[in-house]
Amino acid sequence: MAALELSSVRKTYTSGDAEIVALDHATLEVGDDEILALVGPSGSGKTTLLSISGGLLTPSEGTVVVGGQDISTYSAKQLTAFRRDSVGFVFQAVNLVPFLTARENLMIVNDFGSSRSHKDAKARAEKLLDELGLSHRVDNLPGQMSGGERQRVAIGRALMNEPALVLIDEPTSALDTKLGEQVMELIVSEVKSRDTAAVIVTHDQRMTRYADRTVTITDGVLAA
Amino acid sequence: MLAGKEIRRAKLRFGLLSGAVGLLVFLILFQQALLGSLLLSFTGALENQSGTVLVFSEEARKNVSGSVILPPEQAQIAAVEGVGSSAGLAEGTFTIEAKGTDVDASIFGFQPGGPGEPTRLVEGRLPTTPTEAVASKEDASDGFGLGDTVTSVDGGITLTIVGLTERSRFSVAPTLWVTFDGYTALRKASNPDATAVLPSVIALTPAPGVSASQLAASVNEQVDGVQALTRSQAVNEAPGVSSVNTSFQLILVLAFLVVAVVIGFFFLILTVQKQSTLTVLRAVGAPTSYLVKALLKQIFLVVGVGLVVGILLTLGAVKGASAGLPISLEPTTMVVTAVGVVLLSLVGSLFTLLRVGRIDPADVMNRQNAGGLA
Ligand SMILES: Nc1ncnc2c1ncn2[C@@H]1O[C@H](COP(=O)(O)OP(=O)(O)OP(=O)(O)O)[C@@H](O)[C@H]1O
Ligand SMILES: [Mg+2]
Repeated sequence: MAALELSSVRKTYTSGDAEIVALDHATLEVGDDEILALVGPSGSGKTTLLSISGGLLTPSEGTVVVGGQDISTYSAKQLTAFRRDSVGFVFQAVNLVPFLTARENLMIVNDFGSSRSHKDAKARAEKLLDELGLSHRVDNLPGQMSGGERQRVAIGRALMNEPALVLIDEPTSALDTKLGEQVMELIVSEVKSRDTAAVIVTHDQRMTRYADRTVTITDGVLAA
Repeated sequence: MLAGKEIRRAKLRFGLLSGAVGLLVFLILFQQALLGSLLLSFTGALENQSGTVLVFSEEARKNVSGSVILPPEQAQIAAVEGVGSSAGLAEGTFTIEAKGTDVDASIFGFQPGGPGEPTRLVEGRLPTTPTEAVASKEDASDGFGLGDTVTSVDGGITLTIVGLTERSRFSVAPTLWVTFDGYTALRKASNPDATAVLPSVIALTPAPGVSASQLAASVNEQVDGVQALTRSQAVNEAPGVSSVNTSFQLILVLAFLVVAVVIGFFFLILTVQKQSTLTVLRAVGAPTSYLVKALLKQIFLVVGVGLVVGILLTLGAVKGASAGLPISLEPTTMVVTAVGVVLLSLVGSLFTLLRVGRIDPADVMNRQNAGGLA
């Protein structure tokens, strides 16, 4: 079963009288433990594709199936629960809650109505942070961590609810090359060690070597 | 988790807000206690006497001291249908020597057993002879204690205090209750030319099945030259009382509004500051209700602590003040104030709550750098 299936997805924005086509009949399939790199110039529709795949935006046309659920017709409420249970996000910059420690930033997703107990959530959060090399940072606030450490905490949060699909937007743009590579390696090892697929948006061609496959997007049109 | 952790990591900020709310609650409560005691020493005597309807002469304009009821009117009033019982109640200011000093006291003359008797006797008994009197507990230490004797300066009549009332003062002066005969004697002693001593007002109780307001209406309809008021009207519409009430209430309303504005702005600023964080939480699966609940929890916590601080401050102040000024805080006042403060805090935060409700999780992608990480 594919982790993500987009069929003829179209997304248009209206700004004033003009209609902007951000995604034009995008069709894409990501296997259930595949890592896909999505590259393209600025404004080509990468973030839009990620938002639609993760249930943050609904497509204007076409269907989106994630882990077997067709989310294209979901209500806002269903999408919220879907984001909580079935996908993990790493956003480009704002990721963490500034007044929560690393551990609490992971555990908070368990607070939104999950069935996992507080104790299990705590154990899982600590295990993930340990895997990400942050066992000495569990009680630190984001303000006390480096950019790379914060990015790793965000990866931990994305994996917290054991999602079928992880969506990562420009994970390395705020980091220098060496740190960026370390973070990519961590993402790859975390994703590969469990049954999770990932779509990673990047503008840095060097990062594509960590992916199983690279898809290019130009003006909303996908090309393998 | 969200609400509590944020408060724990910004203790000073939330502590200051709770402190500010506490001071405002103190202001509101203490002012009400003060108003209550002030009004009681103005009109407590009218409030705590047994007549539920008081009939004034019309030209007195609700002022007991300026009212006098002539015998024919008294007879007409007593004959109105619906009157259960009626009795004259006289009031006058006399200079009284107590503990060696002269003070102006307000003296009420009532018919023992009839309407107009003081109802808040806390010690001793009511007077039975013309030289006995009941004084106010509040004045007990000024020579009006149980067993003390006081003397009227004009006429030299000596009265023995046989009982004490509470909350039954009049015109912010020491107040004595004597029998109507005692009152007549005092009047005649100070003014030997006086022929008959007339009551200031007529106190009525309605017959069974008749309400006080119905009785007042019947009296007003059937007797010319008089104005009948229910007891609470007589208290609230007494000269001076309504204007004092209005100005105090204005300050109270302002204080309540300040509470709403302070709470409202604080949480609005806080919410705007962490808008990007809240957007991220929505994006990773927090339902709107989760964020709204967290905000409500913080509001209730801050207001709750503020209320506790305010009530403790007020109780302390009331205790400290009651030595000189007899003030007290009614539990109902506290409850009503607490409910009012909570409701107004919610009203003040309505805009912020709506703002949180309208957060669009998709914005997390657009506003990539809004807010920053720390
Ligand atoms: N909310 C919006 N309203 C109107 N137009 C939008 C909106 N969001 C995106 N667009 C437009 O849609 C197109 C695709 O945007 P998108 O953010 O997906 O690009 P991107 O590939 O992520 O770019 P970048 O690399 O700069 O982040 C752009 O032309 C953009 O201007
Ligand atoms: Mg983008």
